[in-house]
Amino acid sequence: MTRKKTTAIGLLGSNLDAGQSAERWEKWRPSISLCSQENLLIDRFELLYQKKFFNLASVVASDIESVSPETDVRLTEIDFGDPWDFEEVYGAIHDFARAYRFKPDTEDYLIHITTGSHVAQICLFLLTESRHFPARLIQTSPPAGRRKTGPGSFEIIDLDLSRYDRIASRFRQEHREGSSFLKSGIETRNARFNALIDRIEQVAINSRDPLLLVGPTGAGKSQLARRVYELRRARHQIEGQFVEVNCATIRGDAAMSALFGHVKGSFTGAVKDRPGLLRTADKGVLFLDEIGELGSDEQAMLLRALEEKKFFPLGGDREASSDFQLIAGTNSDLASKVRTGRFREDLLARINLWTFRLPGLGERVEDIEPNLQYELDQFANRAGRRVTMSREAREKFLKFATSHEARWTGNFRDLNGAVTRMATLAQGGRISVEAVADEIIRLRSAWRHSRADEGEEMIERFISADRLRALDLFDRLQLGGVLKVCVESRTLSEAGRKLFSNSRDRKKTANDADRLRKYLARFGIEWQRVKE
Amino acid sequence: MLSIDGSHGEGGGQVLRTSLTLSLVTGKPFRIEKIRAGRKNPGLLRQHLTAVNAAQEISRAEVAGASLGSRELTFAPDKPLAGTYSFAVGTAGSATLVLQTVLPALILATGESAIALEGGTHNPFAPPFDFLAKTFLPLINRMGARVRAELERPGFYPAGGGRFTVRIEPATRLNRIDLVDRGKIVSRRARAIVANLPIKIAERELQVIRRKLSFNSEWLDVEEIRDSRGPGNVVMIEVESQQVCEVFTAFGERGVPAEKVANRAAQEARVYMAAEVAAGQHLADQLMIPMAMSGGGSFTTLPLSRHATTNIEIIKKFLDVEISVEQLDSRACRVDVKGARLA
Repeated sequence: MTRKKTTAIGLLGSNLDAGQSAERWEKWRPSISLCSQENLLIDRFELLYQKKFFNLASVVASDIESVSPETDVRLTEIDFGDPWDFEEVYGAIHDFARAYRFKPDTEDYLIHITTGSHVAQICLFLLTESRHFPARLIQTSPPAGRRKTGPGSFEIIDLDLSRYDRIASRFRQEHREGSSFLKSGIETRNARFNALIDRIEQVAINSRDPLLLVGPTGAGKSQLARRVYELRRARHQIEGQFVEVNCATIRGDAAMSALFGHVKGSFTGAVKDRPGLLRTADKGVLFLDEIGELGSDEQAMLLRALEEKKFFPLGGDREASSDFQLIAGTNSDLASKVRTGRFREDLLARINLWTFRLPGLGERVEDIEPNLQYELDQFANRAGRRVTMSREAREKFLKFATSHEARWTGNFRDLNGAVTRMATLAQGGRISVEAVADEIIRLRSAWRHSRADEGEEMIERFISADRLRALDLFDRLQLGGVLKVCVESRTLSEAGRKLFSNSRDRKKTANDADRLRKYLARFGIEWQRVKE
Repeated sequence: MLSIDGSHGEGGGQVLRTSLTLSLVTGKPFRIEKIRAGRKNPGLLRQHLTAVNAAQEISRAEVAGASLGSRELTFAPDKPLAGTYSFAVGTAGSATLVLQTVLPALILATGESAIALEGGTHNPFAPPFDFLAKTFLPLINRMGARVRAELERPGFYPAGGGRFTVRIEPATRLNRIDLVDRGKIVSRRARAIVANLPIKIAERELQVIRRKLSFNSEWLDVEEIRDSRGPGNVVMIEVESQQVCEVFTAFGERGVPAEKVANRAAQEARVYMAAEVAAGQHLADQLMIPMAMSGGGSFTTLPLSRHATTNIEIIKKFLDVEISVEQLDSRACRVDVKGARLA
């Protein structure tokens, strides 16, 4: 195996490397020191010099040849008029870096940052940090101690911080704190959810692009958006406010004005200027929940505000500007809204760069237990008194909560409601088994009336309990749906047309009404009864 | 394969260089571990790598672990080949130490060799070129080889840039020599060399030597070197007896008065002259390998240094020899080498 060659790149130190007489050997010169280290071998040294220091560069090059015959010194002229002018120096070194043919497979690169003006050193650092120089930094230091002889020492600094064990463990700690912060300190156990949060944390601290949170109502979109904001603010990445608005609650002119503001007199009731939520969110985070409900004018304006950070307030002829990070929430499929023309495709493209799907509580049954404790703690914070649960009560509640019977259609909102009710009614600060049993009945009944259970409700209306017990789930699901259509239709024929519209188009069935009647008859249901 | 503990005895570069030399001479491969363990910069440094590379070059050895900072090295040489070589040592490291690593093998190679060496020629902690030319090589030549060294330009620490050449006409085998009685002292000299430094320094140094060693003024020489890269100052005292010419050296250092530098060399020369032995401390280190190669030899010397005892142990690992050390009195001992003769 052949050793990788080491190439150093550095600026000639017009002051530190200076010296033409023999006395120069008495002083410490960084470029010479770099090549005089007993435990570092520079195979090639790209020494950059300004034209006016050519003579000095030649002396330094020949001195390096003497102390380090192994080193091939290459002098390259680099031009920046004023070594303290950041733009000039950066430009010149950037040009050099871009033109240089790096061969990282066969060579290791070290950027010598001890010489040059402080501005030049900053430029070298920046260009290394941005990987324009695929290199590590090297710093040389004069000899220490009383005698002050010898080449001094050197320190190699790898800007890939993950290579340093102690720094890496700091980052891991910070990352753990960040993730835990986003989860409000709840020790969640669902692996997919934890992976999702890790990813959100990674994106949240590295990106200002919009985030799209997709998930059912009550899955915690709003809370997560706020935690992302707080995490970024804690890391000094933003300084503005967190502004939250549910797009389903604002319509028409009111929506325009609420979001983008208006100028006095732009419509009846506009008695003074209003900045609007976008401007309030300047340098902060704007959380638009239910973004799919936004009207088309607002969508167009929002898109422009995202792309150009500019927009027109209602009735205004002067553009307002705001630099905010958008977090959008939705519980519906925005792509299908795009297909039906109710949501702008270009806006969706702009906001779905980072899409995160939050699972509902039903998909995270292992997280119900930690969230139960969290809700109890939250209740204690709100109510100012601690409420505990007996072991049996806790077990009973969790057994129900994690069973298939528990639908959690309102997700965390349901859990929060259940805990609030149980805690409020707790006798002597303790939730008993009986209280849990009552709550389970309440939850069952609430979920029966939720939309997902409409079909079930229908069946119970039209067939006897005995018959119901004999039915397979397969039939119950189908029958429930069919009955819903029947109830919503005026006549048997109308219901038949709706239910068999596709096969009717293909002219396969002559009589839809007859077909439906026969189907209902199998369950002992007559049309007459449906319409009673 | 022979296994060497690099931290043993002297525990520095000497263990490695002696092992390389003996491996080249015997053809035996070796593995050295814990190279320079316990030093501030453990493992191989650049000057050691240069020695490894030079040994590899003359023998086309298979080498593993030859990298900066490496604590382990495996070296398996082929037969050393005479030829023209050029070795350059960085960090103003000693070029004479590199020569000493490869010289014994080339003395017995088939054919003449010419070696050019660049780097430091007068370094602290290494034999200066003058020791090589005046002390060591004449003894090697007495054993049957013909080796001549010529200094083209001295190189001092820290600038380096020195250069000398060595021509080697090998011997088919080395003859035994005995340096028990050094004979009468036939001449004494002291030279103070300055390069790019005030000549006054050299003059002050020689005054000290004249006083301390009662040297005549005619024995003193100031030498000013003009083609040296960097500054340098060295004082050398030569004591030539009938059997051997010894050289004692001290180096000028920044912040150390010239008088103190001269005193160091004078003290060493005084101890040597008083002990009435043939070999000084540094020559004793160097003599044992050629004597072991020649099948035997003996010499009187000052109490053995750590370098010398370490050398003895490593030689015994590579060669079937007996080396006995007899303490003659508190300031002298006698070393006897008995073993198989290499050819």
